[in-house]
Amino acid sequence: MTLIVALFMGLISNAQSPYEAKMKEAFGLWGQNQPVKASQLFERITMVETQNWLPYYYAAQTLITSGFSVKDEAELKTRLDKAQAFLDKAKEVSPKNAEILVAQATWYIVWVAFDGATYGAMYSGKVSNLYQKALKIAPNNPRVVLGKAEWDIGKAKFFGKDTSAYCKQIEKAIELFDTFEKPTPFYPSYGKERAQQVLSQCGKQK
Amino acid sequence: MKQLQLFTFAFLFSLFAFGQTKISGKVTDSHQQPLAFVSIFLKGTYEGTTTDVNGEFEFVTQKKGKQILVVSNLGFDSKELQKKVSELQNLQVVLKENVNSLNAVVLSAGTFSAGEKSKTTTLKPLDIVTTAGSLADPIAAFQTMPGTSTVAEDGRLFVRGGRAEETQIFIDGIRVFTPYVATTNNAPTRGRYSPFLFKGISFSTGGYSAEYGQALSGILLMNTIDEPENERTDISVMSLGVGLGNTQVWDGSSLTVNTSYINLGPYTELYTDSNQWNKPYEAFAGESVYRKKVTKGLFKFYAAFDAARFDITQTHINYPDGLNFKTDATNAYANSSYRHKINKNWSTFYGISYTLANTKSFINSDKIDNTQQAVHAKVKANYKVGSFYKLNFGIESFLQKFDEIFITPIQSYSYGFNNRIFASYQESSFLFSKKFIAQLGNRFSWNNLSHSLQTDYRLSLAYKLGNKGQLSLATGTFHQNPEKEVLKFTQNIHSESSEQYIVNYQRNQKGMLFRVEGFYKKYKDLIKYNTVTPQFTSQYNNKGKGFARGVDVFWRDNKGIKNLDYWLSYSFLDTQRDFKNYSGSFQPSFVNKHNASVVTKYWMENWKSQLGLTYRFASGRTYTNPNISGFLNEKTKAFQTLDFNWAYLISPQKILFFSASNLLGTKNINGYQYANTPNAKGIFQREAIRPSADRFFFVGFFWTLSKKETDNQLNQL
Repeated sequence: MTLIVALFMGLISNAQSPYEAKMKEAFGLWGQNQPVKASQLFERITMVETQNWLPYYYAAQTLITSGFSVKDEAELKTRLDKAQAFLDKAKEVSPKNAEILVAQATWYIVWVAFDGATYGAMYSGKVSNLYQKALKIAPNNPRVVLGKAEWDIGKAKFFGKDTSAYCKQIEKAIELFDTFEKPTPFYPSYGKERAQQVLSQCGKQK
Repeated sequence: MKQLQLFTFAFLFSLFAFGQTKISGKVTDSHQQPLAFVSIFLKGTYEGTTTDVNGEFEFVTQKKGKQILVVSNLGFDSKELQKKVSELQNLQVVLKENVNSLNAVVLSAGTFSAGEKSKTTTLKPLDIVTTAGSLADPIAAFQTMPGTSTVAEDGRLFVRGGRAEETQIFIDGIRVFTPYVATTNNAPTRGRYSPFLFKGISFSTGGYSAEYGQALSGILLMNTIDEPENERTDISVMSLGVGLGNTQVWDGSSLTVNTSYINLGPYTELYTDSNQWNKPYEAFAGESVYRKKVTKGLFKFYAAFDAARFDITQTHINYPDGLNFKTDATNAYANSSYRHKINKNWSTFYGISYTLANTKSFINSDKIDNTQQAVHAKVKANYKVGSFYKLNFGIESFLQKFDEIFITPIQSYSYGFNNRIFASYQESSFLFSKKFIAQLGNRFSWNNLSHSLQTDYRLSLAYKLGNKGQLSLATGTFHQNPEKEVLKFTQNIHSESSEQYIVNYQRNQKGMLFRVEGFYKKYKDLIKYNTVTPQFTSQYNNKGKGFARGVDVFWRDNKGIKNLDYWLSYSFLDTQRDFKNYSGSFQPSFVNKHNASVVTKYWMENWKSQLGLTYRFASGRTYTNPNISGFLNEKTKAFQTLDFNWAYLISPQKILFFSASNLLGTKNINGYQYANTPNAKGIFQREAIRPSADRFFFVGFFWTLSKKETDNQLNQL
């Protein structure tokens, strides 16, 4: 009898909420490099968690980051248009959210990375502006500090300017990553490895 | 104990199995091909799955009763099925491919657009300002596109054998009545509007939508920026004047104001030209856009004002002391529009513009003072069902009042007209598949002066051939009210009309665009009169006619050679007209049979510079030599120019800009002015119509002040 009780107890204590289970499942898919499937699952979660910005954010983020490896313009537009729709929903649910602004900036950067000659001039102002806004909302968010600094480094290199001030910002971002505490479960936490990678390159090229 | 355990498991399993329903089916595309990785789930639950490689899916649910099953896949329109759970079995779901501007066929016959993201984009917004020779004038930039003629001493857009008046310009869908600045005889004009305030410009050389009327040959659509990015101040110091601009952004609204003062005095002091400037060209211009976002709509108010004056004496074969020309012109334009999205199917648009233009010209001892007032009001609605069907309909009216006083030392005359046009249009477009689109529309317009109703139709088709190519066809009829030069003397005259047929083939590949377009245009009801220019005493009728046919070719490549972006355009035009005072059908003097442009832009990474070179060639134009018999009986030599510009980015916010036109100093001749009377030997003497200076230089320094360090005025150059 004790066993039965133990069994039930175990079941109960191990039981995650369906939200948590599905979020984890989606992250699993993303980790297995199946961003489209992951996005679909996040989308499904949005249908239940309609007032939670995170599933919308991830449904978009999965597609946005997958866009860096897409070679066909029509395919890229399909992905990014869909991602934009999720971002718009996320902004509705959570206005003035620095993480969403960073995702939106990344959305533009994917286009710039895809075809700099066409989209560089068109979107670089928008990207700078989004980082500026995000920094105002969350000056100590490591992803905002990293994203802005990395973008500024790119520009400074383009104009042959000194990047050392921005390298300091990257160092600051790394410190912020160490102290950053997730306000809610599943809150974005990526970026530290990227920051270290950028820092290791920082200042090496003129 | 063991038994108990088993029992427990069985119990637990039965608990889970209890009340479960299986949901299953297959998903295919519209060609019955199975679709893998389609997301299937019950709306509002976590229950769902993904299809396998055969497009099949299966999952169990404990939900009861009516549920909504969502079938969604990237690149396809989602489907929702509302059914009882028990009926959600062995479903056959067909998903339709979702359509976007990059993967679907688009109507492209006749159109060149400078937009953000569209496959038909031939020019990017930045091209308007970086094309050598354009000097930031959108009108001049579009003159490097095929389908335009080179009329260097005029500067306006001449499209496919049409006069400049046959091409109309619209800002935010609302007509601009006076798009060009005042200039003197034989000096090219330019557009009034700086490209800086516009996010997209599209230029159509024929076959355009039924939404646009009162244009026989072409339209230029310019749309102002919806939402500026941030606050900034722009300062420019140029060899020709100074400019100041400022943008303020608030939550949901913004205001941009630009002003400029141009004075050609210092330049003409330094480089004397063939004119004698009594008072150099001087102009003040200001324009502003206010935008306000409301819950479901966007309100825009655009206003522009400019004043220009000069006093010049030009040599003229019929005036031994020269022809004195003095002008004082003011122009005010306001345009306000509101776009409202009612729901996902319906949206509406309301727009109105008002123009007040006054020009006082003094030509030797005569004075001409005219005032034009014009209103264009438009209301339209758009309805769409998915991406398959779109309906666009609306009504509009054009009111135009023109008064002119002509004062000679002996007498004065005053005359004018008051014209009203009411029109309605409706147009449907059907996207039958990603490969095939058709658009059909018609237009009715009522003209109060001629008391006549004109009916026009427009039809446009496009079919995608494979992944990269596309074939388009367009045809339609077009009507246009007589221009004010005629209407001010007679109102007993009807609209002119044209009929157009266009075949277009376009091929796109990443970074490369090739298009070729053949066209045939027939003119009817052109206005004829029996004097050299329209006058009070002239006899007018609508018996003129004409045709234009030709081929336009365009090639653009910005991928083939690193950092080099270039385009080539060529137009062949064969046209004849019998209009004005022509005694039969002739090739008009504003037409070149062959027009070609080569535009190159090269980005020099190390120098932080963009260098532009533009070469333009146009074959000779007709003129009448009175010393031999006939009309428009000779042709000038060909026109050529090589223009250069250099934009140097000193820092992200400071740009130095230099441009030079006609580097080679080619002595171009735009026509001949003959003496009114023969000389003693019985020969009519002549004088070539030439640019006042062969070369033109421009230097400017542009400085942007903003919190954000990337903003610069490259867009404005």
